[in-house]
Amino acid sequence: MNVTAHYRFPPASAYRLNRCLFAIKSDAAFRSRFRADPRAAAREMGLGEAESAALLDGNRDALVAHGAHPYLVFMADLRLRMEREAMTFEYF
Amino acid sequence: MLVGAFACAHTPQLLARPETEDRELVLRVHAAFARVKQRLEALRPDAIAVIAGDHIEAFFLNAVPALAVYVGAECAGTFGRYRYRFPIHEPLARALVEAGIERGFDLVYTQDAPLDYAFYVPLHFTMPAPSVPLVPLHINVYLPPQPTPKRCYEWGRALGEILDSRSERVVLMASGGMSHFPGTDRYASPAFDYDRRLLDLLSAGRGHELAAVTAEELDRAGNIELRTWITLLGAVGDAKADPYCYEPSWHHGNAVVEWPVGEASL
Repeated sequence: MNVTAHYRFPPASAYRLNRCLFAIKSDAAFRSRFRADPRAAAREMGLGEAESAALLDGNRDALVAHGAHPYLVFMADLRLRMEREAMTFEYF
Repeated sequence: MLVGAFACAHTPQLLARPETEDRELVLRVHAAFARVKQRLEALRPDAIAVIAGDHIEAFFLNAVPALAVYVGAECAGTFGRYRYRFPIHEPLARALVEAGIERGFDLVYTQDAPLDYAFYVPLHFTMPAPSVPLVPLHINVYLPPQPTPKRCYEWGRALGEILDSRSERVVLMASGGMSHFPGTDRYASPAFDYDRRLLDLLSAGRGHELAAVTAEELDRAGNIELRTWITLLGAVGDAKADPYCYEPSWHHGNAVVEWPVGEASL
């Protein structure tokens, strides 16, 4: 798979970042901690400064440049917005 | 035996519609799901084997199986306000693992993995009454390197043969597709023309040609999830697809398709 692919091999250097995004997406308890104190939650996951800054800014391009998986960025952001903005849905 | 084969879109916006989504379009996809439900009630399957791409939910980077079978007693998952719990057809799930391994597929099996909306969105709308046990089949679609389309097709062919050697009536349901690019710059511009060409090809009974597409082509066309369909195609051979709907939303090509097989193809 070449470097222009939409979905690329997640580099080992981005493991902590991807683990943090996965936890925001799929672990409600971690998501609560992240919403309460994003810096502390990022520290808990062992993120570096640049990764933390990209995550706290919600800067997708910077996150992907750090090796974050685009789908994890997308779903982590969606889960946070669903809670923060109390998005309204029509449930079927 | 294989008694039915379907592919269903699983976009979560079909289950919980935010204001960004066209309500009429969503209802048209629901109408296609309702046809699938009617067909399932007529086909009276003993189990529904759902082939879905993992949305990095059942498996994370601690282990990324190309092909996996869920062999727990039941499966559970949540989406928004919904809590799902379905029994597993354990004898069939176990037989698929054992016979698959016997045929040279190095399958992963799990008895403990949360399942995601890829399984629940289509089943929310199509599960017949009384409800039918599941066999969840995972394909790695989001974490490169994914299994090749050729390998997916071969696994599907093996699945079809194994199912035909069994007494249970089984429906295969491929979940996912068509074109979409979540989390990327192309989210708002899916490859709808690619989808339409694909549906034409499937309607002409040329599904086997998809075994030859490349990983690069699927990524370029926003169709990494098509691996679930390609797996199903291995089982149904060149049965001609009957598309119930193709509804392109601003971010997703929503399709619902049946392949008449078994008694339905006579």
